[in-house]
Amino acid sequence: MKKFSAVLLTTTLALGALSACGPKDSGSSSTGDSDKKPEKLVVWEDKDKSAGLKPAVESFEKKYGVKVEFKEMPLLDQQEKLRLQGKTGNSADVITSPHDRVGPLVTEGLIEPINVSDDVKKMYTESSIKALTFKGKLYGLPKSTETPVFIYNKKYMKKAPATFDDVYKFSKGDKGGAQYGFLANWTDFYFASGVVNGFGGYVFKDSDGTLDPKDVGLATKGSVDGLTFISKWYKEGLFPTGIIGKKGGQTIDGLFGEKKVASVMNGPWSFKGYKDAGVDLGIAPMPKLPNGQEVKTFVGVKGWNVSAYSTHKKWAQKLVEWITNKENSKIRFEKTQEIPPVNDLIKDPVITKDEGAKAVAIQSQHGIPMPNIPEMAEVWDPGANALQLVATGKQEPQKALEDAKKSIDENIQAKHSGK
Amino acid sequence: MHLYIPNIRVVLERGQAYIMEALAQNKKHRKTATILSIIPGLGQLYNRQKLKGVLFLLLAVSYFVVFSDLLNIGLWGFFTLGTELPRDHSIFLLVEGIIAFIVIAIGIGFYLFNLIDAFKNGRKRDEGFALNSIKEQYHSVIDKGFPYLLVGPGFFLLIFVVVLPILFMLFLAFTNYDLYHSPPAKLVDWVGIENFTDIFTLEIWRDTFFSVFAWTIVWTFTATTLQIAIGIFLAVILNQKDLKFKGFIRTLLILPWAVPAFVSILVFAGMFNDSFGAINNDILAFFGIGPIPWLTDPMWTKVAVIFIQTWLGFPFVMAMTTGVLQSIPEELYEAATVDGATIMQKFKSITFPVIMAATAPILITQYTFNFNNFNVIYLFNEGKPAVSGQSAGGTDILISWIYSLTLKSAQYSKAAAITVLLSLIIIVVALINFRRTKAFKDEGM
Repeated sequence: MKKFSAVLLTTTLALGALSACGPKDSGSSSTGDSDKKPEKLVVWEDKDKSAGLKPAVESFEKKYGVKVEFKEMPLLDQQEKLRLQGKTGNSADVITSPHDRVGPLVTEGLIEPINVSDDVKKMYTESSIKALTFKGKLYGLPKSTETPVFIYNKKYMKKAPATFDDVYKFSKGDKGGAQYGFLANWTDFYFASGVVNGFGGYVFKDSDGTLDPKDVGLATKGSVDGLTFISKWYKEGLFPTGIIGKKGGQTIDGLFGEKKVASVMNGPWSFKGYKDAGVDLGIAPMPKLPNGQEVKTFVGVKGWNVSAYSTHKKWAQKLVEWITNKENSKIRFEKTQEIPPVNDLIKDPVITKDEGAKAVAIQSQHGIPMPNIPEMAEVWDPGANALQLVATGKQEPQKALEDAKKSIDENIQAKHSGK
Repeated sequence: MHLYIPNIRVVLERGQAYIMEALAQNKKHRKTATILSIIPGLGQLYNRQKLKGVLFLLLAVSYFVVFSDLLNIGLWGFFTLGTELPRDHSIFLLVEGIIAFIVIAIGIGFYLFNLIDAFKNGRKRDEGFALNSIKEQYHSVIDKGFPYLLVGPGFFLLIFVVVLPILFMLFLAFTNYDLYHSPPAKLVDWVGIENFTDIFTLEIWRDTFFSVFAWTIVWTFTATTLQIAIGIFLAVILNQKDLKFKGFIRTLLILPWAVPAFVSILVFAGMFNDSFGAINNDILAFFGIGPIPWLTDPMWTKVAVIFIQTWLGFPFVMAMTTGVLQSIPEELYEAATVDGATIMQKFKSITFPVIMAATAPILITQYTFNFNNFNVIYLFNEGKPAVSGQSAGGTDILISWIYSLTLKSAQYSKAAAITVLLSLIIIVVALINFRRTKAFKDEGM
C-alpha cells in the first residue's frame, strides 16, 4: 500500500514538475516580420471577384518582381481561416473584409494598422477612410463601396421622385398601375437606419471620428421622428405587413421581380437579379425626406486589410496601395461593377455614365459609414425588434425605441465591458 | 445502452489489491516482478518473457521520447493558457492540454496493464505453472485481442471526434473566451464558474435564459406529444381491418417524412407569410377567417412552429407504431371482445401498453431531438419575432440562442456554459427515462 501511494506520489510530482516547465524560448522575437523582399504574397479575394484583381496583381508582379498568389473565398470564411490558420503561417498576407468587421478584427488582433501618406488617404472619399479607421488608426484601404439606393420600374414610374412626399403621394394615388407604389424593408435596421439618421437620430455618438458606445442615440427625438415616419407607411397600409424581418427582403425582391411594385429601396447587389427578372430598371439616389434632409443610409465599405500574421507587412501594405490606386480601382469597376470610393473616379465618365454606379456613388456621399465598433453587433437585433413592433402596431415608436436602447445598453454592458 | 467502459477506479483498486496481495504474502516471484515493473518491462524480463519485456520497455521509453514535448507544453498550456503574446495562443494551448490529458490517460492505462501483467505471470511462476512461450503469447494476443484490434481504430477515432470536442466545450465554459479575450490580441484566462454565476445573477442573462428555457420546455412537450399522439392515432386507424385503400392512405401520410425537412420548413415559412402566404390568403380566407399574424406575433409563431414540427414528425411515429401493431396477437382482442370490452378499453389496456413497451425509448429520443430542434426554429423565422425586453427572439429555444450568441456576439464562453447546462438537462432526462423504460430493462442490453 505504502509503495503504491509512493508510486502515485512520484507520478503526480513528476507531472507537476512538467507543468511548471512550459516553452523554453522567451518568444519576444517571434513575430518574424521582416522588411526583406518576400518571394511571394498571398491575397484572399472576395467570391467571384478575382477578375477585378488579376490585372492589378500582374502589374505588381512585373513592377516589383514579387509573386502574388490570390484565391477566392467568401468574406466571412477569410476571417475564420485567418483565425484558425494564421499561426501556422498558412494564411494570407492581405485579406478583404467589410468595414464593419474592422472593429472586431482589430479587437481580436487579426489585422494590422497601415501607414500611408496623407496624399494616399486623400485619394479616397472621406467616409470610406473613416469607415476603415478604428480608434484613430487606419486599418486598410477601401476597395469598394455600397449603399441602398432608390430603384424603380420605368414601366410604372417615368422618373425618380425628388422627395419622399412625392413617393407618398404616388403610393397613395394610382401607383402608375402597379400594386404597390414603393416598398422598403424598414423592419431591417440596415435599411431603416437611413431614415432614422436623416431625421437626426444616431446609433452611436460620433465625436471627431470616434464612436462612443456609451451614447446610444436611438431614443432621441430624431430617432423617434424617423420611426414615426416609418410607421406611417405600415399604418396606412402602403407597406403590406408581410414584409417583415429578413425574409421581408426576399418578399420585396420577389414582388419587384414580378413587376407588382413600382419602386423599392435596395443595394447594388440586387441590380443584376432585377435586370434578369426583366424589369426596366431606373436607379437613383434616395429621395429627400420630408424635413428636407437626405436619407443618410448606412454605407458599407469593403477594404483590403493586412493580416497581423503576415511576415512581410511592409510589402503587404505596398500591395494594398497598389491594388487600390486609381488605375487599378478603375479596372476593378470595369470588371466587377464594384464601385471604388476613389474621388477622381466618382466624377469619371466610366462611373457617371452608369446609372446604377452613379446613384450608389452619390448616395454614398449622402450616407454615413456603418459603425465599425464591435458594439454594433448588439444593435441589429434590438433595432429590428423595435422596428417590427412599431410596424405591426404593437408599440409606439417612443416606447419601442426606449426598450431597444435599454436592451442595447444592457447587452453592451454584458458583452462588451470586458475590455 | 450499457457500455462497459472500464471504470478507472475499479482498475486502480484491482491493481492496488494485486500489489497488496503480493506484498502481504511472501510470494517471491509475483512480488519482485510487480515491483520491478514500476519501470515497465523489467518485471516481464524478470519473468523471462524477453520479447514482451523489451517491447514494454521500448514502448515506455518511446512514450516519453515522443510525447514529452506534448505533455510538457500541453500541461503547462492547460494550466496557464499561455503567458506571453504573441507566442502563445490560448485556444490552441487548451486543445493541446486536452490531448496531453488523453495521452496521459492512455499512458496510465498501459502502465497499470504492465503492472498487472507482471503480477499475474509472477503468480503463475509462484504457483508452479509454466509461462506462455513467445508463440503462445502471440496466439493469446491474436485470439483474445482480436476484438480489441477491431474496435481499436474506431475507439481511437471516437476519442478525437467525440471526446475531444466535448471536453473542449466543457473547459471553454470555465474560461473568459469572448471577443475581448481572444487570441492573438489577448490571452484567455480561467475564470472558474463565473460564466454560470453570470447567467443566473446578471439581470439580462437571467431574464433571457429563463424565458428561453421556459419556451424550450413548452415547445419540447407540446410539439413532441402532439406528433406522437397523432402518429399513434393515425396508425391505429390505419390498422383497422375494414379500411379500404390502406396502402394509398399510408403512402400519403408518410409523404411529410419523405421530403427533406428543411425544404418543407422553408416552404412553410412562405405559406405562413402574413400578407402573401397561402394559409392566410387561401385557406383561412376560404373559411372566412381574417388574416392571422403568423410571423409577427410571438404567440401565433409558436403555434405555427409547433404545427410544423407535428406535421414533420408524425409520419415517423406512425410508421413505427404500424409495425408494432402488426405484432399484437389477434387473440388478445378476441378475448377482450368476449369479456365485453369497448373499443376504448381495448386501446387503453392492450394496444397502448404494447406500443409503449416497444417504442418508449425511441419516443423519448423524439423529445430530446425536439429539445434541440434547431432546424424548425431557425429556418422558419430565425427565432423571431421580436419580444421587447429580451435579446433572444420570441421562438428562440436554447440551441438557437446559443447559435446567435456564438455567431453574432462572439460570446464563446457564455455559449459554452449554456451548452453545458443544456447538455446536463438532456443527460439527466435521458438517463432517468432510459432507466425507467421497460423496453431496456427487459432486454438487459
